[in-house]
Amino acid sequence: MVEEKKEIKTLNLILLALAGVAVLVVVWNVASDTFRAGTDDLFLVLVGLMLALLFAVPALLWAKGNGLLKNPFADEPLPAEGPSEHADAHHEEHGGSNRQNVMVWGGLLALTAFEVFLAYIQINPVLMLIILMGASIIKAALIVAYFMHLKFERLSLILTIVPTIVVLLCLFAILFPDSFRLHKMRPAETIQQVEHEG
Amino acid sequence: MAEARAESLAAADWGGGVLPYHIGHRKLGMWLFIMSDSLTFGALLVAYSYARAASIAWPTPFPFSPSIVFSTTMTLVLLSSSLTMVFAVSASKKGKRGTARKWILATMVLGLTFIVLHLMEWNHLIGEGLSPFKLPAEWTKEGAWPGASPLFGSTFFGITGLHMFHVFTGVIYLGVVAARIKKLNDDVEVAGLYWHFVDLVWMFVFPLIYLLSVDYHGVIK
Repeated sequence: MVEEKKEIKTLNLILLALAGVAVLVVVWNVASDTFRAGTDDLFLVLVGLMLALLFAVPALLWAKGNGLLKNPFADEPLPAEGPSEHADAHHEEHGGSNRQNVMVWGGLLALTAFEVFLAYIQINPVLMLIILMGASIIKAALIVAYFMHLKFERLSLILTIVPTIVVLLCLFAILFPDSFRLHKMRPAETIQQVEHEG
Repeated sequence: MAEARAESLAAADWGGGVLPYHIGHRKLGMWLFIMSDSLTFGALLVAYSYARAASIAWPTPFPFSPSIVFSTTMTLVLLSSSLTMVFAVSASKKGKRGTARKWILATMVLGLTFIVLHLMEWNHLIGEGLSPFKLPAEWTKEGAWPGASPLFGSTFFGITGLHMFHVFTGVIYLGVVAARIKKLNDDVEVAGLYWHFVDLVWMFVFPLIYLLSVDYHGVIK
């Protein structure tokens, strides 16, 4: 038993070390002279951070489960006021009420209204794209967490689904900066010709 | 203590013969399908953004009124259908099958409304001369978007078409669930997962395809 515990500790320390190595690779890449924030650099940074996260999560969960990580800002447990609040929290845990779902729906409508308002007042397209994507990710998170009930599922299911999707979609998006390169590769005459012909 | 707990967890959850995620096989299957489908839509949307950013000119042919107002209405309909589906799932969890069926039917009506509105919009654009491989002649004239890529049509019809197909199959799926509701267990919840996912995809299609293509200069009359 004691040996096994030691073994688990060693394995978790190895995971943390691997996470540290991944972070070091990212730092080294950003600090190096050849860093140009192109596709290659973005790939290295993103994949490095993802790997660091993936390696760190099991180790941190293990540390938390063993009481090694304590939240310094956590309130002291108050036995006098505890029960009523706890009962509420417990109720929430087993799925949202209809009232909560209507509130989420209202939030989704408000975010949509905000997006449409941005389209109405006409702002810089790049800024607009960033704000719209941010709002859409918040909306997607609300739908997945409350409507699709993922917030109330087991942690194992959440950890199976969410990081996988996020990593894979980021890997798709990694190719995106390459699209700007096509502008530079196009001969100048072609662009002028196209603009001229109208 | 801790490792005893870990051991009992391992034996209970991952030792075989039990459900490690504490959900049924139908729900797990639906989650796996949703993961793969989100990658399909993710790839299409990234390809659309790539083609758009790499093009010299890209049409932005949706005047705020009526086009954006129209597609905002479609968004409202789809969001509301998600809410009625939530009510259906919560009613079916409480064992109220009749109520669940009514909410599912409401969801189907909203889904069909979305499809009808979408087809009206498609019809309007096709009438203007847009096709998957060709832009309307007015769009490429001087003062509009000269040299614009016909990829606009392919990405527009491809992405919104695939999404509309998902809504359509979702309506059929919900119809089957509503018809067989007396014999089913967690199928309302699983169908709900699919329906919410279709709604979620539209939350990315709507800003990327519509809100970023507003015609501010009054090119389209």
